[in-house]
Amino acid sequence: MLSPWVVLAFCCLGQLCADQSVKPHLAAPHLATNNPTLTTVALEKPFCIFDSSLRPNKSYIIYLYAMKESASAISSLVTDNSSKPLDSTFQQTSGGQLGPYKAALFSVPNCASPPKLADVGDVNKVSDVLKQYLFRVGDDGTCLYDPNFLAVCNPPLAPDTTYRFKYMLVDSTEGIVKDQTLWSDPIKTRRVRLPLKIDTWPGRRSGDMIVITSILSVLVFLLLAGFLASVSSVVMGSEDSSAETKCMSRTIQQSEPAPQLSSE
Amino acid sequence: MAKGGDSIHIFQGLLVFGNVVIGMCGIALTAECIFFVTDPHGLYPLLEATENDDIYAAAWIGIFVGFALFALSILGIAGVIKSNRTLLLVYIILMLITYAFEMASCITAATHRDFLTPNLFLKQMLERYQKSETDNNNDKWMIKGVTETWDKLMLQNQCCGVRGPSDWQEYTSAFRIMHSDADFPWPRNCCVMDAQGSPINLDGCKLGIPGYYNSNGCYDAISGPMNTHAWGVAWFGFAILCWTFCVLLGTMFYWSRIEY
Repeated sequence: MLSPWVVLAFCCLGQLCADQSVKPHLAAPHLATNNPTLTTVALEKPFCIFDSSLRPNKSYIIYLYAMKESASAISSLVTDNSSKPLDSTFQQTSGGQLGPYKAALFSVPNCASPPKLADVGDVNKVSDVLKQYLFRVGDDGTCLYDPNFLAVCNPPLAPDTTYRFKYMLVDSTEGIVKDQTLWSDPIKTRRVRLPLKIDTWPGRRSGDMIVITSILSVLVFLLLAGFLASVSSVVMGSEDSSAETKCMSRTIQQSEPAPQLSSE
Repeated sequence: MAKGGDSIHIFQGLLVFGNVVIGMCGIALTAECIFFVTDPHGLYPLLEATENDDIYAAAWIGIFVGFALFALSILGIAGVIKSNRTLLLVYIILMLITYAFEMASCITAATHRDFLTPNLFLKQMLERYQKSETDNNNDKWMIKGVTETWDKLMLQNQCCGVRGPSDWQEYTSAFRIMHSDADFPWPRNCCVMDAQGSPINLDGCKLGIPGYYNSNGCYDAISGPMNTHAWGVAWFGFAILCWTFCVLLGTMFYWSRIEY
C-alpha cells in the first residue's frame, strides 16, 4: 500500500542522487585485472545512472570527459554558457592538462538487460560483453597522428599521472546536456621503474655449494698427503732394503772363508 | 712383509671392484653431461645473454672427465692384477689430475647455480627482449637468442614474464620502447592462443581478463631444468669423487706395499 509513494520517493531521491553521489569508477577488478595500466584506464559504463533523466522518443548520447587532476585548478568546466557540451580535444587541452577533453561518445547502456559478466568465459560472447560493459580510455594509439581521423580521438594517457573522468548525458537532437555525474575519484596510471635498478646480487651462498667445496678440498688434501706418504714410504723402504742386502752380502762373504780355514 | 696370500687377493679384488665402479660411473657422467650440453629445453641463449653460462662449462669438463675416468679405471684394473708398480704409479698420477678437474667441475656447477636468480632473468628479459637497436654483432646475437627463447617459453609453457605479466607493466623495457602500452601491455605470446597461433580474444588479453592471458610466471619453467643440470653435474660428480677417493687411497697403499 505504501509502494507507489515509496517508489516515487525513491525516484526523486534517485534524481537527486544521480547528480550528487554517482561517479565513474573502474571496471570490476576481478574482471579487468590489468587496470589501470601505464597509459589506459578501463571505466565501467554508466549503467542505470541516467535512467531517471531519459525521456521516451528522444535519443541520447553519453559523452566521456577526461582531465588531469592538476587541470582542476585551471578549469573543470565541461559545458559552455548555453548548456552545450564542450568540444575540446586531446590536442587542444595538451592531453587534459589545461582542462577536460572529450574522450568518447557512445550510446546509453541498456539498463534493462545489462551484460552478464559471467559470459566473459565464453569466447564467442566476450567481445560483446566487454563492449557493452566497459570503455577503455587511451585505447587508440594511432588517431593522434592520423590526419584523416575525424571521430573523437582517444589517445593513450600519460604514465604516473592522476586523471579524473566524468560522464554526461546529452540529447542528440538538441545537443544540450541533460545530466552529468560528478568527477570521478582520482585514478592514477601506473609508473614504471628502470630495469637498471634491478638488483641481481644472488645473496648468500647456498648450502650445497659450501658442502661440496669444503668436503672436496679436504679430500684432495688427504689424497695428496696419502700420495706423499706412500711415495716416501716406498723411497725409504727401498733404502732400507738396499742397506739390508749390503749387510747380508757382507755377512755371507765373512761366513764363507771361515769353513775353509777350519777344514784345513 | 707377511700379509698372507688371501688378504692380498681380497684387497686386490676390492680395488678391482672399485675401479669397475669408477669406470661405469665415468661412462654415466659422460652420458649425463652430454645430455645437459645438448640443452634439450633450449635455455642456453638465456644464460649466454646473462654471461653466466658456467654451468655449461662444468658439463663440458664433465664429459671429458667421465671418459678419462673410464680409461683410467681400465689401466687401474690392469695395474692391480699385474701388481705392476709403474702402471700403478701412472694410474695414481693421472687419477689425481682427473680428480682435480672433476673437483673444478663440481664446484663450478654448484657455485654458478647460485647466480641464477629470478632478478637476473628479469633484467635480461627487459633489456633484450625484442630490442631493436643493436650495438654490435654480439649484442644482435644475444638479442635474437633471448627473443626466440622467450617466445618459445611463453608459448609452450603458457606463462608470461619471469614472475608474471606484471613484470611488463612495472618496468620499462626494450619491448615497451617499440610497442605502446595501449596495444601491447605485454607481448602477444602472453595471450592464450588458439590453434592457429593468434590470441583468442585480444581485448580480453589486453585488459587482463582471466582465461585470456597467461597469468603465471615462467621462472619455474626456467629454474627447473637449470637446477637439474647444475645439481646433476655437481652432486653426481661429488659422489664419484668420494668413491674415487677411497679407491685411490687403497691403490696408493697397495702400490707402496708391492715388493719388487
